[in-house]
Amino acid sequence: MMDALVAMLKSTRLSTFMTTSPWAWPICETLHFIGLSMLVGIIGMLDARLLGFLRRVPITALRALLPWGILGFVINLITGVLFFIGAPDQYVNNPAWWFKVLFLAVAGANALLFETTQAAKLFTMGPHDEPPMTFRLMGAVSLFSWFMVLYWGRMLPFIGNAF
Amino acid sequence: MMETLTALENSGFATWLRESGSIWAYPLVLTLHTVGLALLVGGNFALDMRVLGAGQGIEVSALDRLFPVMWWGFAINAISGVLLFCADATTKGTTTLFMFKLACIAAAVVVMVLMRRSIFGRGAGASVTAGAKGLALVSLLLWTAAITAGRFMAY
Repeated sequence: MMDALVAMLKSTRLSTFMTTSPWAWPICETLHFIGLSMLVGIIGMLDARLLGFLRRVPITALRALLPWGILGFVINLITGVLFFIGAPDQYVNNPAWWFKVLFLAVAGANALLFETTQAAKLFTMGPHDEPPMTFRLMGAVSLFSWFMVLYWGRMLPFIGNAF
Repeated sequence: MMETLTALENSGFATWLRESGSIWAYPLVLTLHTVGLALLVGGNFALDMRVLGAGQGIEVSALDRLFPVMWWGFAINAISGVLLFCADATTKGTTTLFMFKLACIAAAVVVMVLMRRSIFGRGAGASVTAGAKGLALVSLLLWTAAITAGRFMAY
């Protein structure tokens, strides 16, 4: 099934464009690193706040910056999908890529869980209250997962020879 | 100049870094360089966006706590950057794009220090000046240019 997906993607014009255009890949790489900085800057700061740092700033105030972190994620999702369409075989056969996807899923599930089960607490909490244990735990999981996504992404060329 | 770069690149350490194939050599240093980038540029991005008017509920002076994080990112990248330079000295040392990247980083760090002075020297509750907003905009442009130059060097 994976082979069929790889063959199908590689037969597309977009795939050929990604690997033969001298500009497409480096431009997407650049955007991927800019998106990474936006994501880690905003999401990482929120995670640090959930862990109890930066207590002077209310969590609700920091969450106003969240759309900029999500924009970074969207940039990286789009460029990431383009890399995948360009050279699917170098990813599906690469354990580093599967680890990256695994930690992406953990980070995503954690964020979803926070929004659905924890975010409501923000309405009843004081702006400078000690963060509850669940906040600290989920902040730690998020921070760890995103740095794991970065680590396994960086390992792609070394473990599975991706370019 | 060229002899120095060649000697550097052929040194035992640079050769090990580049050719040993160990996960603790080039891959680790490159990973650290990316972690440092995330801390340094990520912190700058958050600060710049607030200064430019996003997240008005955040008291700007509270964000001086971002500076230690950004300086750690800078230190990690200065050290890992020197190591990466050693491994590839004759190429990087003669590439205009690399010089451009260094110039952008130097300017961006100066902007970061200037921004700290213009925002945090004025006590809590002080409003953001037009000058600080200009610096935040320049900061975003310079980091974007530095990342772009860095990425294009690899291709």
